Amino acid sequence: MYRRINEFIHLLKVSGVSGISRRYFVMNSFDGALTMLGVIVGAYVAGVVNPKTIIGVGLGASLAMGISGFSGAYMTEKAERLRKLKKLRKAMLADLDKSLHNRASRLASLWLATVDGVSPFLAAMVSITPFFLAVSNIISVEHAVLFSISLIMIVLFFLGFFLGRISKENAFLWGLRMIVAGIATAVISLLVGGW
Amino acid sequence: MKGHDPVVKRLILDVLKPLEPPINEFAVKLASLHGVDHVNVSLAEIDQSTESVKVSLEGSEISIEAVKRRIEELGAVVHSIDEVLVGKKPQVK
Repeated sequence: MYRRINEFIHLLKVSGVSGISRRYFVMNSFDGALTMLGVIVGAYVAGVVNPKTIIGVGLGASLAMGISGFSGAYMTEKAERLRKLKKLRKAMLADLDKSLHNRASRLASLWLATVDGVSPFLAAMVSITPFFLAVSNIISVEHAVLFSISLIMIVLFFLGFFLGRISKENAFLWGLRMIVAGIATAVISLLVGGW
Repeated sequence: MKGHDPVVKRLILDVLKPLEPPINEFAVKLASLHGVDHVNVSLAEIDQSTESVKVSLEGSEISIEAVKRRIEELGAVVHSIDEVLVGKKPQVK
């Protein structure tokens, strides 16, 4: 098991996916969180605050983002990786079928597709968890809206913080920038929903 | 009565490899082969996608086929076998 994990990590390292994994993770989590922010704020302003409806819309949106993310990223990455592998075959004058580069290429496409699909799904699901509590009458719908928006802001902050740490800049400032993007989304949703 | 089987004790290869894995990892993967005790990989040439290296292996009983298979698994190609040292290994019958 330990050997398999080591091999898995080694293949990912050979295929050079760490940078693009981080980008996909942050971008798609951001998409998932802001999509749900728009849905929740828009629904609240429009007066559609049935928690079951919010959960239904949230689940539908999360799944759609997840499936589209996975399939889109898989096809894109597969095309790019095949192109890169063919270029290497030409340089090496060898087919490389039994090589780790061939395995790494296939694994990289699957890995990146998984990151692309799972990150918006998870971010969206985290955002709507207070509504599950509202359905069970543990908290009120208004509290669920408030907690949900707070959770989304926390997710955005940590995404920004993560980016700040990667770029070795002020992580706290990066977190705040993401929150500002979140607030801007909420305000636009309020204005559009209220109209 | 003791017999003697010839075995490969040193092997020098001219190898073309992709840039990944780097030569230190490449050497470690070759050194993990049974019968190989020391591996020396030195860089001869490098370009945008590939590098030409000289691989020297020393050990008690090197299998040329196993070395070639491992090199192929690492995405590299053996251009030529430049030097072989063969010695006799005592075998108890």
